[in-house]
Amino acid sequence: MYRTTPHVLPWFITGLLLVPMLLPTALAQDSTTLSEIERAARTLLRDHCIECHGETTQEGGLRLDHKDALVAGGDSGKAIQLGQSSESMLISRVSAKDDSRMPPNGSPLNSDQIETLKQFIDAQAPWTNAPLPDPKRDHWAWLPLSSPSPPPLNHTPADESNPIDRFLNAQLANEGIIPVAKANREVLIRRLYFDLLGLPPTPDEVEQFLTDTSHDAWERLVDRTLASPHYGERWARHWLDISHYADTHGFERDQRRDNAWRYRDWVIDALNKDLPYNQFIRDQIAGDVLPDATPESTIASSFLAVGPWDFVGQVETPSPVIKRLARADDLDDMLAQVMTSICGVTLHCARCHDHKLDPIQQQEYYSLAAIFSGVKRGDRIVSAEESSAIEHQKSDLKNRKQSIDQELSQLTNGLSLADIVGGGDGSGNGVPGQGIDPNSGNALAPNEKRGFLADVVPNRLNQLKNPWIDAVFIPDGGALRQLAISQSGIQAADIPATDSKAWDAIRNGPVNSQFSTSLNKIDYAQPGFSMLSLHANAGITFHLPYDKLLTAHTSAPQSANPSSEPTSFTFTSQVGYFGQTPKNGADVFVLLDGQIVFKYLGLGRDDGPQSIRIDLTKQDAYLTLIATDAGNSIGHDQVCFMNPSIASIQQSPSKAITERIAILREQSKQLQQELDQLPAPRRVYGVLTEPPTPIHRLHRGNAEDPREVVRPGVLSCVGPKLHELEQLDQHTPDAQRRLALATWLCSPDNPLPARVIANRLWHYHFGRGIVSTPSDFGLGGSLPSHPDLLDWLANQLIQSDWSIKRLHRLILLSEAYQRSSLAHENPAEAFDSANHFIWRQNPRRLDAESLRDAILCVSDAMVRNMHGPGYRDFDYQEEYAPVYKHRVFSTPDMFRRCIYRFVVRTTPHPFLTSLDCPNPATLTPVRNTTTTAIQALATLNNALILQQCSLFAQRLQREYPHNAELQAEQAICIALGRRATREEIQSASQLIRQAGLPELCRVLFNTNEFIYVD
Amino acid sequence: MSTKKCLNNSASFSPDSRRTWLKNAGTGLGIYALSNLLRNDDSHAMEHLLNKREPHHPPRAKHVIEIFCPGGMSHVDTWDYKPELERLHGTPFDSELGKQTFAGVAGKHAKSFWPFKQHGQSGRWISDLFPNLAQHVDDLAFIYSMQSKSALHGPAMFMMNSGFIQPGFPSMGSWVTYALGSESENLPEFVVLPDPRGLPPGGIINWGSGFLPAMHQGTIMEIGNGNEIIRDLFPAEPIEQSAQSQGMKLLQQWNQRHAQERPGDSMLEARIASFELAGKLQVSVPEVIDLNQESATTHAKYAIDDKEIGPFGKQCLLARRLVERGVRFVQIYCGAENTSQKAIRPNWDSHEDIVRDHGYWGRILDTGTAALLEDLKARGMLDSTLVICTTEFGRQPFMQGEQKGRDHNPGSFTAWMAGGGIRGGTSYGSSDPIGFQAAEKPTYCYDLHATALHLLGIDHERLTFYHNGIERRLTDVHGNVIRDLLANP
Repeated sequence: MYRTTPHVLPWFITGLLLVPMLLPTALAQDSTTLSEIERAARTLLRDHCIECHGETTQEGGLRLDHKDALVAGGDSGKAIQLGQSSESMLISRVSAKDDSRMPPNGSPLNSDQIETLKQFIDAQAPWTNAPLPDPKRDHWAWLPLSSPSPPPLNHTPADESNPIDRFLNAQLANEGIIPVAKANREVLIRRLYFDLLGLPPTPDEVEQFLTDTSHDAWERLVDRTLASPHYGERWARHWLDISHYADTHGFERDQRRDNAWRYRDWVIDALNKDLPYNQFIRDQIAGDVLPDATPESTIASSFLAVGPWDFVGQVETPSPVIKRLARADDLDDMLAQVMTSICGVTLHCARCHDHKLDPIQQQEYYSLAAIFSGVKRGDRIVSAEESSAIEHQKSDLKNRKQSIDQELSQLTNGLSLADIVGGGDGSGNGVPGQGIDPNSGNALAPNEKRGFLADVVPNRLNQLKNPWIDAVFIPDGGALRQLAISQSGIQAADIPATDSKAWDAIRNGPVNSQFSTSLNKIDYAQPGFSMLSLHANAGITFHLPYDKLLTAHTSAPQSANPSSEPTSFTFTSQVGYFGQTPKNGADVFVLLDGQIVFKYLGLGRDDGPQSIRIDLTKQDAYLTLIATDAGNSIGHDQVCFMNPSIASIQQSPSKAITERIAILREQSKQLQQELDQLPAPRRVYGVLTEPPTPIHRLHRGNAEDPREVVRPGVLSCVGPKLHELEQLDQHTPDAQRRLALATWLCSPDNPLPARVIANRLWHYHFGRGIVSTPSDFGLGGSLPSHPDLLDWLANQLIQSDWSIKRLHRLILLSEAYQRSSLAHENPAEAFDSANHFIWRQNPRRLDAESLRDAILCVSDAMVRNMHGPGYRDFDYQEEYAPVYKHRVFSTPDMFRRCIYRFVVRTTPHPFLTSLDCPNPATLTPVRNTTTTAIQALATLNNALILQQCSLFAQRLQREYPHNAELQAEQAICIALGRRATREEIQSASQLIRQAGLPELCRVLFNTNEFIYVD
Repeated sequence: MSTKKCLNNSASFSPDSRRTWLKNAGTGLGIYALSNLLRNDDSHAMEHLLNKREPHHPPRAKHVIEIFCPGGMSHVDTWDYKPELERLHGTPFDSELGKQTFAGVAGKHAKSFWPFKQHGQSGRWISDLFPNLAQHVDDLAFIYSMQSKSALHGPAMFMMNSGFIQPGFPSMGSWVTYALGSESENLPEFVVLPDPRGLPPGGIINWGSGFLPAMHQGTIMEIGNGNEIIRDLFPAEPIEQSAQSQGMKLLQQWNQRHAQERPGDSMLEARIASFELAGKLQVSVPEVIDLNQESATTHAKYAIDDKEIGPFGKQCLLARRLVERGVRFVQIYCGAENTSQKAIRPNWDSHEDIVRDHGYWGRILDTGTAALLEDLKARGMLDSTLVICTTEFGRQPFMQGEQKGRDHNPGSFTAWMAGGGIRGGTSYGSSDPIGFQAAEKPTYCYDLHATALHLLGIDHERLTFYHNGIERRLTDVHGNVIRDLLANP
């Protein structure tokens, strides 16, 4: 309301640039076939009526989008009487003053508009079949790229070899503006470094450039800088802003995405090696499903998954209503991100109704949603081949280790049932946290956390192909019911009735969201303990044949000590209630061959651990563990068996056995080392492709009001009509949908992607785009200040095989880029102080990350390692809703570049936020720049700054010991990238003497000269 | 190694020593002393920073104190009397409908766990959970027909705060300060007082400025939990005062010269002024949080010495002191989420034991809020201060399965407003006879937001900000001012 919104047309553009663009030939043709009356009336009907009375919706059975329907009328009778406007209901309804007024929402039609409709009816409603011209469809951004040539060289300024300058200078000359001169070299190199690398130049680099007398010194500096690996780190930040990347889910349960960083690294590398922009797009949209997909292209497709995602709504809640809304939001996030980042088209409006500004129908929004309806987000491996090769090696080593460990285990501990649940052989080689879904028998990895299980079938025996586990099930007994508990047909009686609900899995360790792993002050998650957890309601039956136990056991050399052969096996464990409920939480049963041999009814936290010891028979033993809900629903019913194991009654080991154990341990250790050295298969948080679900148009965007099924598709107002897209229907697999979209986006006939990225580059190089709304090229966005230049740049991109670096180079070598940012009392300051005509460069404040990195650079603390998992500047605490607490003081591992920061959605970094680092909930095409007292406090007092002051001071002390003048001179030179004046050296060295060197560093980091770039 | 020394220093520096340092430093905090260095004609730079603006129409309220009870407060146990529930008590709820709820299991209908009585001249019903607030019933205007678009804490919190269930939209406090700017040179315009137990569900995003400039985000003030009051208010490691003021002097000199060489760049002027404002904050923030300036009677009213109730009492008292000094918008959280304290639910989310959890939080809310209302009234501040009390959704009129608590209910909840142009003792809308769904005049946060903005002199349809293709509003495309609740409709 108070501020000039960016899309308002600057006064000087009107009439100057638009006339040639907005006179499409279609208009001229239509006027010959459409009468004025017809055009005016049909435009009114289209703009005010057909949202509810058109092809998709017919409120009151009425359609107003063609003449037959108009004449036929609707449920309330005839809408018009031909030739008699005064008798026509259409007129009375649009003129009504009461609730019956149409249209019902928004402002009523004005008297001129009503008059137009009257004339139209009185003239017998002239209605040809000619399409109504839609000015929205002639919007500049939808039109194909034009091929403008740079204006000829007939103006004064000397070196205009760069076509960009020819475009700009032609216009400046028209306006009578003489642009300011080039900035000096100290300014230029600092500008270039922050722009391309996000870092300041070192004094040596400045000196080298200042003394380079060759004619192409600037050009060579540009090329050198573009080749720096820091370029990718800097420009990846821009792309991650646009795609709202972060390392956690966001929302209430803001869980970590520990493998998200691979996508961030992919962006850095793609930019550094100048991956052609069309391929850059294609890989991010469909890199995982390309016919020639690579691990890298697969990682690229994580682009679709980098936005926020609500774990509670997607997974945890059992409510289908909540899940549908969460999925609709999920798709919205995905499609909005793709279309705004690549096409500069905003779509949110069309989720509920046809777009008010742009020619985008609601149905088109859902067509785009359908493109992604086979995409789910999640952790995945980046290559099946890579993974299976590693798995192969791993299983080989594991097999060898397993036989050793099994023998070892039998000689020492016995068989661990928790380990078996974790996929191990009972000797401790299972995966901690791994589990078994009691409703299916499927194995679940530690990170595959489940909430309430869906589609529970109680009392179904879910069989496993595990040498020791027979089956799992979700019990619902009752007085008269016999439950099948093993494949051998054993049944159990006297298991109580339950509510048949189940949570998560039977796990080797705690279950998902387990209240605690401690009981009576002992933490069973610590080494030396094992936990077999099952959340009521669940049951698991182990098959423990005597012979097999014996074999497993006697794999030790028989000769060593024959008398050690066990005569019987015993199951020992403790059981406890690990939920929050103090009393009467769950019922626990242990059965041997179907007979209850242990039970504890109403076990609660206050009851503490209960010991179990059961001798197995020397037969085909079946051991069953069951937890049920004690009749009060499953709540926190987290039951754990601690150290559950099957062992023989041990005698004191003989010398031979002791020696054997030592040998085995050594072998096992070596194999473990080999296993540890195996690389893990690379994983990334990204795209999981699934069979697409049908997408319906949702009436008013309401997920509970689905209407017709919508075919996958793209926008109709722009880009080519492609065969690949026409073919899509609701049965097309995910891959084909996304490949078709990628083809459409990368087509040279689609003007948007090239225009949008060219404009983004311009935006970052000049502080404002040719279109000042870089993610909105629609009718609500701003118009291009230099449309010919924009199309020329877009063409240059396409013609240079979509090379981004070439486009950078073109821009950076222009005179416009190199201009001073000072107005120098230029007359243009009076009428174009906002610099729309680009007669000078725009000064800019460093963004949050660049400021931090620059400080680290100057203090020489920066750790320049590229790639890999992000540094964590917080303490993490695992909770239902994880807690991230930012550390006050940094440790050197955090002194990497800011691009490698682990970004937490719910807990933005306070220091960076005070400097306008955006929240990754939002797609950020343009950063705000604010100046506040809180920001001043942060740059003065924050621990990071003070630490760096101290480190910078140490550096100066080290390099220039005991010489305050020299320290002062060098401090200014290093921080500000220029030679210090005598006066500055004098006042700075005085400060060093009075207040110490760190205080001078603090002053320098806070100067406007340090944080603003000319 | 070079960093080591620096880290060791930091370890020895506790918040306590920072306070000591502050005390020794007195008011001459270096920066502040330099304010006279600023040229007098910098007033426009200062204005730029304060961002003060004219409202659309004459306001009734100048300040807002919003008390947010995260976790989901049960309306049927607190504000919304449902005799029909007493009749149905113990009978099962429709199990099919029950499956749509968050936990997916409905138990038996349950009447309020606290008896309801009529209070005040208006004769409105309030449960015995709030004996003190009941005394103020004639100042409160209830909205009984509130609904949320989400049954999940995160999205519902975002909705109540920003109008959208997705994260990333500006909160009401941000919109208000964006619209009106700051009244106070010495304090932040939008202050958030989180529960000392931790942040609410969804975290800091709840008071984020979304796509509005970052200056409009809520500033957290923490008291009494060992953290800094405001982050970075004072140097993270002590710096001698004389060193600081010499440093600041040189800084401002250099910045002045730099600006003179670049005439007409208002960004540079503004940043120079921002250091002056920062200096003022260093003086005024310790002053405002010094609750010892308040009388023993006031301490007793807010029960600030009580171990359980005290922290919230302090938040309420601090809110009053902030508003008194011109802070535009204060948001108080009565409950947390991200915390490891578990003896009692850390907020109102009473799934398994509503008597335990609502009993605990009820006493806290009742004491502090009643003291605040009384205090504001006694000081003549209630007329110009709009007090809002809300939650993100209500709770179900039936038990959650066999548990002793209630599940989330986005279909119906109650919020109230008081002071600042509100007609007390009134109400708007109703829930159905058992409080399952909003019945008469169902409404979302949009109407509450529109009404609050209206009282502040802002037309919610004209308060817009362009972002990614849309002129965004706090009220999205919705919202009507609830005139029934206004003193001057």
